[in-house]
Amino acid sequence: MLYGKIVRSPHPRARIVSVDLTPAQKAPGVKATLLWRDPADTARSIVMYQGDEIAAVAADTEEHATDAARLVKVEYEVLPAVIQVDQALAGNAPAVFAASGPAADNTPGTPRSNVRQGQTQETGDIAAGFKQAAQTLEETYSTHVITHVCLESHGAVCEWDGDNLTAWVSTQGVNATKDGFATGLKIPASNVRVITQYMGGGFGSKLGAQDPQSMICARLAKQANAPVKLMLDRKEEHLATGNRPSAAARIKVGVTADGMITAFDAESWGTGGAGAAAGFPLPYIYQIPNRRRTHKDVFINTGLQRPMRAPGHPQGSFITEVMMEELADRVKMDPVEFRIKNLPPEAPNAMWGSYLRQGAKEFGWDKRHPTGDPAPGPIKTGMGVAINTWGGGGSQGRAHVEISSDGTVVVRCGTQDLGTGTRTLVAVVAADTFGIPVSNIKPEIGDTVYPVSGGSGGSTTAAGISPAIRIATVNALDALKEKIAPALGVEPASLVAANGRIQVKDNPSKGMSWAEACKQIGPQPLAADGAWQPGLSSVTTSGVQFAEVKVDIETGIVKVTRILALQDCGLVVSRLTAESQVYGGVVGSLNFALFEDRILDRNTGQMVNPNMEWYLLAGMSDIPKIDVRLIDQSERGVIGIGEPPTVPTAAAVALAVRNAIGVTVRSLPLTPAKILQTLAQRRA
Amino acid sequence: MKAFSYVNPTNERDAVRALSPEFEKVLPLAGGQDLLARMKDYVTEPDRIVNVKNALDATVTSMPGGGLKIGAAMKIVDLVEHPQISKLYPAMVLAAGEVGTPQIRNQGTVGGNLNQRPRCWYFRNEEFVCFKKGGNQCFSPSGENQFHAIFGSGPSFIVHPSSLAVPSIAYNATFRLLGPKGERMVPASEYFTMPTLQNVRTENVLMPNELLTHVILPAPGTIKSGHYEVRYKESHDWPIAFATVLLAMNGDAVRSARVVMGAVAPVPWRSEAAEAALAGKTITEETAAAAAEAALRGAKPLSQNAYKIQVAKTAVKRAILHAAGMNVVDVKTI
Repeated sequence: MLYGKIVRSPHPRARIVSVDLTPAQKAPGVKATLLWRDPADTARSIVMYQGDEIAAVAADTEEHATDAARLVKVEYEVLPAVIQVDQALAGNAPAVFAASGPAADNTPGTPRSNVRQGQTQETGDIAAGFKQAAQTLEETYSTHVITHVCLESHGAVCEWDGDNLTAWVSTQGVNATKDGFATGLKIPASNVRVITQYMGGGFGSKLGAQDPQSMICARLAKQANAPVKLMLDRKEEHLATGNRPSAAARIKVGVTADGMITAFDAESWGTGGAGAAAGFPLPYIYQIPNRRRTHKDVFINTGLQRPMRAPGHPQGSFITEVMMEELADRVKMDPVEFRIKNLPPEAPNAMWGSYLRQGAKEFGWDKRHPTGDPAPGPIKTGMGVAINTWGGGGSQGRAHVEISSDGTVVVRCGTQDLGTGTRTLVAVVAADTFGIPVSNIKPEIGDTVYPVSGGSGGSTTAAGISPAIRIATVNALDALKEKIAPALGVEPASLVAANGRIQVKDNPSKGMSWAEACKQIGPQPLAADGAWQPGLSSVTTSGVQFAEVKVDIETGIVKVTRILALQDCGLVVSRLTAESQVYGGVVGSLNFALFEDRILDRNTGQMVNPNMEWYLLAGMSDIPKIDVRLIDQSERGVIGIGEPPTVPTAAAVALAVRNAIGVTVRSLPLTPAKILQTLAQRRA
Repeated sequence: MKAFSYVNPTNERDAVRALSPEFEKVLPLAGGQDLLARMKDYVTEPDRIVNVKNALDATVTSMPGGGLKIGAAMKIVDLVEHPQISKLYPAMVLAAGEVGTPQIRNQGTVGGNLNQRPRCWYFRNEEFVCFKKGGNQCFSPSGENQFHAIFGSGPSFIVHPSSLAVPSIAYNATFRLLGPKGERMVPASEYFTMPTLQNVRTENVLMPNELLTHVILPAPGTIKSGHYEVRYKESHDWPIAFATVLLAMNGDAVRSARVVMGAVAPVPWRSEAAEAALAGKTITEETAAAAAEAALRGAKPLSQNAYKIQVAKTAVKRAILHAAGMNVVDVKTI
C-alpha cells in the first residue's frame, strides 16, 4: 500500500502560475504524482483559501509522501484576500468575489460580490408591534467560526481491480460517496464499492460525495496501480474540511410590560468562507407575531463551511436566548416564566413549557439569584437555561435479515456508524423483534453491497433505518412462525417471540426455544427484506438545558459545574447510545461556548491555531456533571437525537455566566479577555 | 520531517562533543516533547540529533550547605514526586505539577522544560517567517497577540514557555552548562535573555555546542513559598499568567520577598517593585493586592492582551496569599 499527501496553498488567495512536479517525482519512494489544479485552466487556477488543494503525491511511506509533497514547486502570484467580515461589510475589502474580479472567480456558483444580500422576510406589522411595546432593546449578538475537529480525520484507502474501485472512506454516507466516485471518476456506479465499518466522528463534515481527498486518493491509486491510503492531518482538517459559519445579528425587539414580545427587527450576517452561505434560524423557536429579518452572507478567503451538528441552530439559539434573557430582566420577569410566556403552543413536538417547569424544579432554579451574584469574593455562581428543536426524521432505510439454522441472525443495512452507536441500534431493534439477546445479532453495515440506506446527516439515521429493520425482522419472524406452527399444532398468528422462545401468546409453555425453532430452517438461511414505511418513526423534537457555572471575576475563568439536559427523541430505542449522544452534544456545545475558536491572523488570513494546542478543546477535567433526562414519547416512534443536544448548552452556559457576573457578554466564545473587559466596562 | 542522523552518547563529555557550534545544526533530544513536534512541523530542521537521555544525570544530589543538585535529564514526574525537593522547594514542585499533561510530565525532562522553545503560534507555524526563524518581523504586535508578552518592547513578543524557569529564578538557582571548553555556572537570573535584534533567535545564553546539565538549588533557608497559575482549561493548557512568591519572615512581617511572574514576558519576569512593596508588611488581602499592583506597573500590553495585566495581578496576589498560608480561591477546584 502507498501513502498519499496533498500539496496545499499556504496563501488565502493566489493565482497558481506554475506547478513543477518533477522534483517530487524524483524523490525517494514516489510512485505517482497528480496535478489537481492546472495553472493553464483559468477556471481553476486561483486558490481561494489557505489549504486549497493544488497537487498530490503517493509514495511508499507516509514520510516519503510528506517529504515529496513539499518538493512540488508551486509558483504563486499572491492576490489580495478578504480576511475580516467587518472589512467586507464596510466595503473596504478587495472585491474578491465581485463580477469584476479575475476570470477564475467566474466559475459557476461563485458569488458575484463579497456580500450576498438576502431577501427581507417580514411577518405581521412591525410598526404596530413596536407601538404595543412598553420597552425596546437594541443589541448586537454574535458567534464565531469553529471547526468540526473529528478525532478521526478525513481520508480514504482506495484500491482498484481493473476498472473496479473499492474505497474505505471516512464518510457519513457510503452510498452518496459511491455515486460521487462514479461521477467524479466517470466510471459506472456498479464498479464502485464503498466501505465504512467504523468511524471516529463526522459531525456533518463528512457528507461530501466528492471530497477532493477521496478523488485524489482514487486517482493516485489508479495511476500507481496500487492501493493508496490518504488521511488528512490535523492542520488540513482545520483548514479545508469545513467549519461552522459565524453568525451575528443586530436586533431591535419590543416587549410589553407583562412580558409579551410584540416586535422583532433584525439584520443578520455570517460567513461560511470563500463562497458558502451562512444561514441560521432567527428568532429561534419563540413566537413573535410581528417580525422582520434581512440576512447577508459574507464571503471571505477561508475554507468553506460544511454542515456542523445542528447547522445554524447553536448560532440562532445563542443570539435569541441572550436577547430573551435581557428582555426578561427589562420586564423583571423570571427567565423561565418569560420564556414560557413567549413559546409556541404546547404539542407533542413542542414540549418546552413542560420541560422548563420540570427542569427548573429538578435543577433548583428557585435558588437562582437575580442577575449578578451578590456573594462576597471573586467567585460568582450563576444559572442559565436555553431550549432546542430539531427535525430528526428519516425515510431512507432498507434492510435485509437472515436467520440461520444455528439461531444466529445477520442484519444487513447500507447505513454507517459515525461513532453514534448505529451498529448497536441495528442489533437492538432486531433483538427486540426476535426476543433474543443482542449478542445473537450480527449487524452488517457500512458497505454499499448492503441494502441502500441514507446518509447519516440531520439526525435521520435512527428514524430512517429502525423502521426498515423492524419491518425486515418482523417479516423474517413471520416466516419462521410459519415453519414451526405445524409442529406445535397452532396457527402462526398465535405465536409470539419473547425471552428466547417462540410460543403461543397466552400459553408460554406451548412453544419452543429460539434455537429449537431455528433448527427447522434448514440449510438455506431464512431471509427477509424491509424498507422504511411511515408509522414507526416521526419528526421534530424538543429539549431544554440548564447550566450552572462558577466564574472567577479576577481572572475571567469560567468553570461549568452542572448541566441538566431534558430531551425527547420519540421512542428511545437504545438508551445507552441515546444518552451518549446527549453527553457528546453537551460537551461539544460547552467547547463552542468557552474554548473553540478558529483564529486567523488578521493581516495574512492564515490560521494561527490549526492544531489541538491553541485550538482549545475541553479535557476530562473541564467537563461537568451532566444529568440526562430522556423524555419517553414511545407513541411517536423513532426520532433522531444526534443534533438537538448540542444546540442550547452554549447559550445556557453564557446565560449562567451572565447571571453570575451581572454583565452580558454578547459574543462567543466567553474568553477571559471578554469577561474581564465587560466587567471593567461596567465599573467604568 | 527532514532526515537526520542520530547519535547516542553515554556520558556528558561525548554528548557535548557531538554538538556543533552552528545554530540549530545539531540538537539535543531528551524527552522530545518539544523538539519532535517542531521537527514534524518543519519549524526546526537539524542535521543531527544527540540523544542525551543516557548521557545526562537524571538524579538528585545533596549539596554541601543543604542545597540540591538536580540532573537535567530528570523527568518532570520524578521531580514532582521527589520528597526532598517537595520539602525544600515546594513552589518548584507546584510549578512542575502544572506542566502539560501526565503523559508529558512522564516524558519531559527538567532540562527540556527550561530550554523549550516558545509556544508562540507565529513561531510554531511555518507560514510565518518571523524573527525567531530568521525573518525580519514579529507578527504579533499587529496580529493575534492575546497570549503574548505584556512586558518588554520587542523585537519579539513571545512569552517564555518554561514553568520551571520561574521558580528557578525565585529560588536563586544556578545552571551548570557544559561546553567544549568545560563547565560554566550561570545564575538562572542571568540565563534567560530579553530579545534584541542580535540574539532574537534564542531565549537564553546556552551556546549551540553547550548542554545544560544541572540545576543547582541553594539551601532555601526558612522561607514560605507560594505558586499560582491561571489558564483557560484545567486540562492540558498553557498558562495565561502565573507567579512564584517566596517570603522570608520576621515574625508576622515579611523580611524579604521574591516575586517572579511567568507567561508575561520573553523571560521569567521578576518584580523588585512587588518585592519592595511586601518588605516589612504583614500579609493581608490588601498588602498582597498592593504588591500585585506594583508587580504589573509598567506593563505595556499589545492590542489584544491588556486582560493579561489583570490575570497576572491575580496570579501574583494569590501566590502571595498562598505563600502566607492564607486561603486562596480557585474556580477550577471549588
